[in-house]
Amino acid sequence: MQDPRLRLFAAAVLSLAAFASTAGAVAALVWWLLVTPRTKVLPRPGVFLPLIAMIAVTAALSAWGGGAGLSYFIRMTVILLLAAWVYAGTEEGEMLAVAVWALGDRVGFEIGLIAEMGLTGLAVIRQDIEHVRVAMTLKGIRPGVRSIVPLAANLIVTEIRRSDEIARLLVVRGYTIGGRICPLFRTEPGDVLASIMALIPVLLSTLPLRDVFILLG
Amino acid sequence: MRVDLEGLVFARGPFTLRGSGTFGEGVHLVSGPVGGGKSTLALLLAGLLRPESGAVRRHGVSSALLLLQFPEHHITCPTVAGEVRSWGLAPEDVLLRADLLGRGDDDPFHLSRGELRRLTLACAVMQNPDLLVLDEPFSSLDCVAKGEACWMIEERGAGITIIFSHERAVLPRVDAIWEMEDGVLTARGSVPDAIPSWRHAPPYLRYALREGARPENIRLSDAREALCRIRG
Repeated sequence: MQDPRLRLFAAAVLSLAAFASTAGAVAALVWWLLVTPRTKVLPRPGVFLPLIAMIAVTAALSAWGGGAGLSYFIRMTVILLLAAWVYAGTEEGEMLAVAVWALGDRVGFEIGLIAEMGLTGLAVIRQDIEHVRVAMTLKGIRPGVRSIVPLAANLIVTEIRRSDEIARLLVVRGYTIGGRICPLFRTEPGDVLASIMALIPVLLSTLPLRDVFILLG
Repeated sequence: MRVDLEGLVFARGPFTLRGSGTFGEGVHLVSGPVGGGKSTLALLLAGLLRPESGAVRRHGVSSALLLLQFPEHHITCPTVAGEVRSWGLAPEDVLLRADLLGRGDDDPFHLSRGELRRLTLACAVMQNPDLLVLDEPFSSLDCVAKGEACWMIEERGAGITIIFSHERAVLPRVDAIWEMEDGVLTARGSVPDAIPSWRHAPPYLRYALREGARPENIRLSDAREALCRIRG
């Protein structure tokens, strides 16, 4: 999808559909399989599999406590797949452009700037984790519970410090509130069709499917 | 004890690194301009990057350590003392050597780049690995601290020490000179024979050579002594 407005719209409605019901999640998964480059947009297994494992553990605990563990696992996994697709496809400046297009130069610019900084922060955190991994290798430290806690604390402190530095830099450069940009978007015919198709999972997630099947029966 | 580079080739985008040669026991200086491929070769020597072809073969080397170009990339603990312990060392000895006594409870990120460099260099040297690779160990240091860093490196009695640096003012006593430019590693040979052919020699060495002096090593004091010898 070339147009970031439609990409974000599709991701938002599909996430809602996946979150709302298992049927919506399955329909969103079908959409993901049909429209996106599928596994090509997924992060490397070392990043993706631990996230899936976390969802699986939570789902297992939920099921063990009598909750809808399987449904939770399906819904959250689909949301994760959608997030990976949006993250991989978003280029620098697109969030700012969409926010300004939707909400204007003042509020839109603020929200867009925060979103851009958040996305940049994710890439920086990835680099920081890689640096820590190299440092641990050089020091002969094996990854484990003992090493993970101080490392996580270190990463959080580093990110807070970095945010503070960026805020000071914005002040030094005279930033107060809002800004002006002229966003340009390129829309391909397939983008519109895919966005319309994204509404189907939303409809399925809101329909009382069980009642429909009872009526059909 | 030695490290052989056997037809090493590593490519990243348009940049290609090529190198062959043997690093024997002693101190080796790999000099060259910024962006020439020094840090990449340091990572290859440390085994953190894999070559596309060729190999880095270690003979008789039981331990190896790389000091990264940016000292903050070594940090894995929230205190300076914890950071030293993470290297498997006792904080008191290291902090004394790094001139950071009384800073054990500080956040390592609150140290200046130079202080952090002194800390990591002291940790690396005191670990005393068979192969010690130092990537730009003099960057961010003032002249006094550079001198102390040179002293720490020279004090290492055994093993292979490979220094990657573009430093051209304060240098330690070395045994061999290499040059890295545009991704190509060139061996200049043993010191002092290699000094006249060293393209990135510091200005004081060039001056001494122009004057007809033959310095025994690459330090400023060596150039000064050589000039004194010919001038009487």
